[in-house]
Parts: sequence; structure tokens; C-alpha cells
Amino acid sequence: MKDITLVSQLQSLQSSRPEAAPKAAAGFAEALGQAIQDVNRQQVEADQAVQKLQTGGAENLHEVMIAMEKADISLRLTVQMRNKIVDAYQEIMRMQV
Amino acid sequence: MDLFDSFKIASSAMKAQRIRLNTISSNLANIETTRTPEGGPYRKRAVVFQSSETPFGQQLEQSLKGAEQGVEVTAIQVSQEPPKMVHNPSHPDADEQGFVAMPNINLLEEMADMTSATRAYEANVTVIKSAKRMALKALEIGS
Repeated sequence: MKDITLVSQLQSLQSSRPEAAPKAAAGFAEALGQAIQDVNRQQVEADQAVQKLQTGGAENLHEVMIAMEKADISLRLTVQMRNKIVDAYQEIMRMQV
Repeated sequence: MDLFDSFKIASSAMKAQRIRLNTISSNLANIETTRTPEGGPYRKRAVVFQSSETPFGQQLEQSLKGAEQGVEVTAIQVSQEPPKMVHNPSHPDADEQGFVAMPNINLLEEMADMTSATRAYEANVTVIKSAKRMALKALEIGS
């Protein structure tokens, strides 16, 4: 996953000149997209594991459970990320200009 | 991610303990078996565990120098102990002296092994639960 800490984001903002600005935006969007794709992949994996279990193809019950837990945790992380992004957006909308 | 590594390690241990339980169940099922395809009575099977390098060994090499390792079953060994000779002249497999070669399985040992396998499995389930609780706690930081 790409570095999305506040410090690195601030640094990229600081150093960005007008022509460099679109690149920074693409970097964040890319990181977000990758994270979401990762979460989606885990959901699909968990789905496949459950399907395999029901058709008798799964070797280990605990592996199915672990795949499901992984998907659950990733999804919760995504929801928290979304909350943060929406919060940040609303904070900016409240800004006095 | 670190969290999912501990999932992987615990998962490998659970798989190994499950194989161990399967072996014990085979031993218990054949506790009275006097005929096998190899000839002679059934012989006790025991699993051999070995810590595994793969698949996260390379990854850990840079960061932890192999401090964390999963486990895998490398072999299921057949016990070389001699069979128990039981005097039972009416048994169809008895020899001229009336002795029957019975499997070298001790019921008490198998029961103790079974408890140990179950407890080890439970311990690894607890590891996964703890890892998950830690992750969910970390997600609470933001709210």
C-alpha cells in the first residue's frame, strides 16, 4: 500500500507547483483505488472459500473462517477510511472564505 | 500486513494439529486390527512436525530474521516398536503357540495425545481471536 500518512501528503502538497499538482492528486487516487481493490479481492476470496466449503471442496474449515475474518477486517478498515475522507471533506466545506 | 501474518502462522499450526488428530483417530480405529495390506498387525502412526520457512520466510528474513515461523507436517511415521503379543488361541490369526500380534497402540497415550492436539488447536484459535481483537481496537482509534 502506498504511503498515505499526513506528513508525506503535506510534503507532496508543499513541493507541488501548479504543473505538479495533478500528479499528486493522481497519487492519492491511485493509493485509494489500490486499497479498495485489495479489499474487494479479499471479499471475493472469502466468497470463493465459502462456496468451496459448501460444495465440499474445502480442505480446512479454519481457512474459510480466516478468509472471512480477513475480509471483515479489511471492510471495516475501508469504512473507517471513508468516514475520515467524508469528515475531511465536510471540514473543508465549513471553511470560511 | 503484520496482522495477517499471525493469521497465517496460526492457520498453519491448526492445519498441522488437524492432521495429528486424523492420525490419532486412525490409531484408535485400528486398535484391534491384526490384518493389514503390508501384513502383520496395524502399527501406530505418529506425525513429525517441522517449522516451515515458506511462504513468509523470505519476507521475514529482512525484518525479523526468521523469528516467526509456521509449522508443517513433514512425515507420518510408522512406529517400529514390536507388536503386543496377546495369548488368544481362538483368534483366527493366532500362531502355533496361541499368541496373536496386536497393534502396538496404547489407548491412554492416544487419549492424552488427542487432548493435547485439541488444546493446541484451541490455543491457535485464541491467537487468531486476539489478533482480530487487536485489529478492531486499532480501527477504534479514529472514532
